[in-house]
Amino acid sequence: MSERNTSESIGALELDELDADGALREVSDALGHPTRGQLLKGAGVGGAMLLAGAAGPVAGAVAKGSAKQDREILNYALALEYLQAAFYTEAERLGALRGEFAHQAQVVGAHERAHVKALRQTLGASAIGRPRFDFRGVTEDQPAFRRTAVAFEDLGTAAYKDQAPRIKSRAYLSAAIRIHSVEARHAAWIRRLAGVLPAPDAFDEPLTKSRVLGVVADTKFVVSAPRTSAFGSPRYTG
Amino acid sequence: MGLRTRVAVALVGASGLTVAAVSASSSDSLPAPSLPDPVAPGIHVPSPSPLVHSRHVARWAAVRRAVVARRGPSAAAAGVAEIDTRTPEGTANIVQVLGRARRSTGRLWVRARLPVLPNGTVGWVPRRALGGYNLVRTRLVVDRRRLRATLLRDGRPVFVARVGIGQSRYPTPAGRFYIRNKLTRYSSPTYGPLAFGTSARSTVLTDWPAGGFVGIHGTDQPGLIPGRVSHGCIRMKNAKILELGRLMPVGTPVTVR
Repeated sequence: MSERNTSESIGALELDELDADGALREVSDALGHPTRGQLLKGAGVGGAMLLAGAAGPVAGAVAKGSAKQDREILNYALALEYLQAAFYTEAERLGALRGEFAHQAQVVGAHERAHVKALRQTLGASAIGRPRFDFRGVTEDQPAFRRTAVAFEDLGTAAYKDQAPRIKSRAYLSAAIRIHSVEARHAAWIRRLAGVLPAPDAFDEPLTKSRVLGVVADTKFVVSAPRTSAFGSPRYTG
Repeated sequence: MGLRTRVAVALVGASGLTVAAVSASSSDSLPAPSLPDPVAPGIHVPSPSPLVHSRHVARWAAVRRAVVARRGPSAAAAGVAEIDTRTPEGTANIVQVLGRARRSTGRLWVRARLPVLPNGTVGWVPRRALGGYNLVRTRLVVDRRRLRATLLRDGRPVFVARVGIGQSRYPTPAGRFYIRNKLTRYSSPTYGPLAFGTSARSTVLTDWPAGGFVGIHGTDQPGLIPGRVSHGCIRMKNAKILELGRLMPVGTPVTVR
């Protein structure tokens, strides 16, 4: 994916300017404020794919260069959808949410899983793998869930807004806009539940990919898989 | 005329002009402006489907930092065992997650099955000492009387094998355990081509190297299977352990009865 400013360093980003409501800051503080660099070092294959995109052709009748760019954008969208889908799915499975928050997680989780399925089918073999996540307790604690969900939905909406104008295929753009408006509805819904003004401004600002990934990295939710197999000789009782 | 009245009159007048303009244009014979057809989306988004909940799902997590497991969800509760981040085989140490509690301070605690003696020990650890949750849908049942191991997925049998278990003086412990790790590509024919480590420990061979953990593995003496022949480990023929290796993920609960 082409970056507006390739020299922009993820590590140099300021979380404050991306997180006006302080939601992600609260989450980050609650988690011991891990750095983006720590996440980038710690992320495994899935996480690296999330942060880098993947290679391979996108099905569809667009020129070669355009197809490559569209594929990268769709993989970026898929990465964010993986994150959101895993977040809501884990929250629903753990059953720690109550009332409207439980209902919101149930409905939005189903939407996010549908988005993942759609993007994976479209990308085919080019689709990036599903990363490993460690939500560090925010899926099993309602106040932490609320703060994180607000941040994630705002982040997803801003990310789609940034990338949509770059999509070359009108068919993909049409689909992306349909997903984007649903993400905006999710954002308004969780903001209302959280007591945050759903539409504070007349114009929404997009967030660049590097900024979005910087925020994701700050959460430290993307992790490497624990090593559970080895090649050493067993020392079991035999 | 007051200000509010003047504003109201102005608004009514403006709306009347708008209605008149619309009526005039609709009565003209000019063709209505047409819009191009909408672009068909290039991605089919399926209908959202609800999450399928299953009672056959078990959860495990890696130990991210060494921690003292406690009898209750509190730092003041008595310690049960120290839990390290690594197994003796060098893999990540994992625990089976059984439940959780949230203290009034907001701190989350997880109730976990632990790989310590006495077998079956359960303790509480802070959530932040653990990594992400992982799910498995499988369960292994080892029947010592019938010398048989059965793997269930979503509650249905998908694998059965005759097994060798511990001799009477080195019994395979009964209880609820879980698969801790998987070892392959080693050069020790005694264990066959693949070995699973479990959280079960021999209650007799406590001074065995690396703690006397019970494994599930292949063998270089297939003629002894089925039988009560081992030092506590569960043995099966090499073809069967390789098959089990393809079917059973780490974290799978194990019931020995």
